[in-house]
Amino acid sequence: MSLFVIVILALIFGFLGSAVIGLLRGGKEGSDRMFKALRMRIILSVLLFAFLLFAGYVGWIEPNGFNLLPTQ
Amino acid sequence: MSNEKYYVPHGTYWPIIGSIGISTLFIGFANQMHDVSWGWPVMVLGFAIIAFMMFGWLGTVVAESVGGMYNSQVDKSFRWGMSWFIFSEVMFFAAFFGALLYARVLSVPWLGGEYNNIYTPELWEGFKSTWPLLSTPGEIGQNGTTFSTNFKLVDTWGLPALNTGLLLTSGVTLTYAHHALRAGHRNALMAWMIATIALGVVFLGFQITEYGHAYHDGLKLTSGIYGSTFYLLTGFHGFHVTIGVIMLTVILYRIQKGHFNLENHFAFEGVAWYWHFVDVVWLGLFIFVYWI
Repeated sequence: MSLFVIVILALIFGFLGSAVIGLLRGGKEGSDRMFKALRMRIILSVLLFAFLLFAGYVGWIEPNGFNLLPTQ
Repeated sequence: MSNEKYYVPHGTYWPIIGSIGISTLFIGFANQMHDVSWGWPVMVLGFAIIAFMMFGWLGTVVAESVGGMYNSQVDKSFRWGMSWFIFSEVMFFAAFFGALLYARVLSVPWLGGEYNNIYTPELWEGFKSTWPLLSTPGEIGQNGTTFSTNFKLVDTWGLPALNTGLLLTSGVTLTYAHHALRAGHRNALMAWMIATIALGVVFLGFQITEYGHAYHDGLKLTSGIYGSTFYLLTGFHGFHVTIGVIMLTVILYRIQKGHFNLENHFAFEGVAWYWHFVDVVWLGLFIFVYWI
């Protein structure tokens, strides 16, 4: 499950990288590429966040959260 | 775009003001670290001089751009400059994420004797590898006390999840703003930009609240390798969100002034990418600090 999350995160970074290439090229083509890449990255990010919450809720993945109060 | 030749800037005083600002900042910071009474005020003065330089210098650049002094060569330079800046930002956060992963996956388990590493367990007798590690092994070992490992798991559904939702929503509103800009819908563009800025400000407010809770519960910069990396990562991220909010506000002002059109809106694109990046960094933090 962790691997799946990391792969999606890597994909999101891939789209960010694609957006940089669009930014660097400029013009109509570059601008289009940048917008589409950023749109894909936000769609994937929202889906990943929703998946994390769902997976945590049903118990597929256990959150790493903690507080600092000793249990005893 | 009116000039064919490359635009050569005139003589300017902003670089020397920037140098004075940075020097003042570091003199103040260094003395503050040595508990000198005037350290803090000098540090704040340094920040103020740098902020003054940033607004003044970038204001000059905006005026030159709007005045038609730049051509396609200058545009290319700006794009390369932004790309290198982006590269440095990626490396900056990669270093801190790398530190977190190195400590968690390699060095702390080594100290606990994992991976057949026969030397490191001898360094701190009684040390048990655990995460999060909230104490520095040497200090506790020397005091003869045991290593605290009893930390109760709590849900991650509170402020961390709420903040992630807020920042991702700001990414969505910014994408709608970007679409509105490309479609020429000025009012929608401004409305989505205001929503994005508001979400960023609320995020910062919650982040300050979370820091208050964490600090009150005993998590400090000195709380072992976890405390150090936690505050380094989230602190620098919060600083980037603050810068992002300021930049988005400047872009909103420029939209209101009519500085952008369907073809030329590089400044918007640069700031939009920056905000998306800050958003993804937080998502990475949320995943690696709170989930995996």
